[in-house]
Amino acid sequence: MIEVFTLAFLMLVSVASVVAAYLAIRERDMVKAIVYSAIQSAMYALIFYVLMAPDIVLVYIPVSVGITPAVLLFVTKKTERYDGD
Amino acid sequence: MKASELFVLVSIIVFIFSLAYITSLGGLGQLPPVNVRLLAQRYLELTWNPLKPFMSSSGYESVTAIVWDFRGLDTFFETAVFYGAIIAAIAIYRGVKITGKGRTTGMSPIARTITRLSIILIPTVAASIALHGHLTPGGGFQAGSVATVVVVLIIMVFGRKALIRKGMTKARILLFRSLGLLGIGFTAVAILLAGIILGLNAYIFQNQPKPFAPLGFPKLYDGMILGGSLLLFNLFEFIAVTAGFTLVLLLLSLGEEEVRGVVEK
Repeated sequence: MIEVFTLAFLMLVSVASVVAAYLAIRERDMVKAIVYSAIQSAMYALIFYVLMAPDIVLVYIPVSVGITPAVLLFVTKKTERYDGD
Repeated sequence: MKASELFVLVSIIVFIFSLAYITSLGGLGQLPPVNVRLLAQRYLELTWNPLKPFMSSSGYESVTAIVWDFRGLDTFFETAVFYGAIIAAIAIYRGVKITGKGRTTGMSPIARTITRLSIILIPTVAASIALHGHLTPGGGFQAGSVATVVVVLIIMVFGRKALIRKGMTKARILLFRSLGLLGIGFTAVAILLAGIILGLNAYIFQNQPKPFAPLGFPKLYDGMILGGSLLLFNLFEFIAVTAGFTLVLLLLSLGEEEVRGVVEK
């Protein structure tokens, strides 16, 4: 029974990550796209935690939610914020 | 959201799930066995095994034992590659003056106060991850990336110049980074050097005593698990990764005008 719940949770989280990735690609505003991408990474971190990889979670959360968005924000500041046609 | 966008999203999800279903049936190649494999069994058995002292590592944590003991040389070269990437970043930004002079425009007092609290809390968590890396999940790289979040916060909330005015200049961060890498290198050959001096047989990346190589790092101290070389590797990797990430963030946060002026010359 508990396995079914785990798998259902994993399925929900992975669907949410796909939605976040789609929104990140569709978004014209770079800052919002970075936030969507961070949400997608947080979903991945949850999947790693449920699949019993706490070492990966500990490195994945700071890198994907903290450092990568920061680097992307610095880079966005040097270019244009809105993606044109 | 429009109906056409929803259709695209639903078809992506259906595609991913059908691909996952095909993979789970073995349609994209043979599947690995579900039960624990022989290699994993060997690692789990030998991570902490007082009955086989010549073959086991010195901590409770299998991942740290694999990363810094069973497969230590791989991780050493990985660290060296990371160091090379940092050197490349510095080479691109050569000649750019990084000073702490001038006004800084930070965020609101609420953000500043919260960040002042986090400046103490986050490095504490990072230090516990690094120094308990041989007992609980965690290690040097994990702790280093957690500690870098503080640097991100300081640069975002107080500004880059505030960081430099507090003494974190480029030269000093590079010094910490090199000290971390030198520490890793020294820990890797420490037992070998001691063996050469004492006239005994020893290996590089030796952690615990092996047959015909009696030297090794201390495993226990006063009933406390020290982790041998794992603790030292985690500590130095923590310093090296924190300083490396800090340096890259410091370089990336430089203004476009300052960098372009030097590059176009």
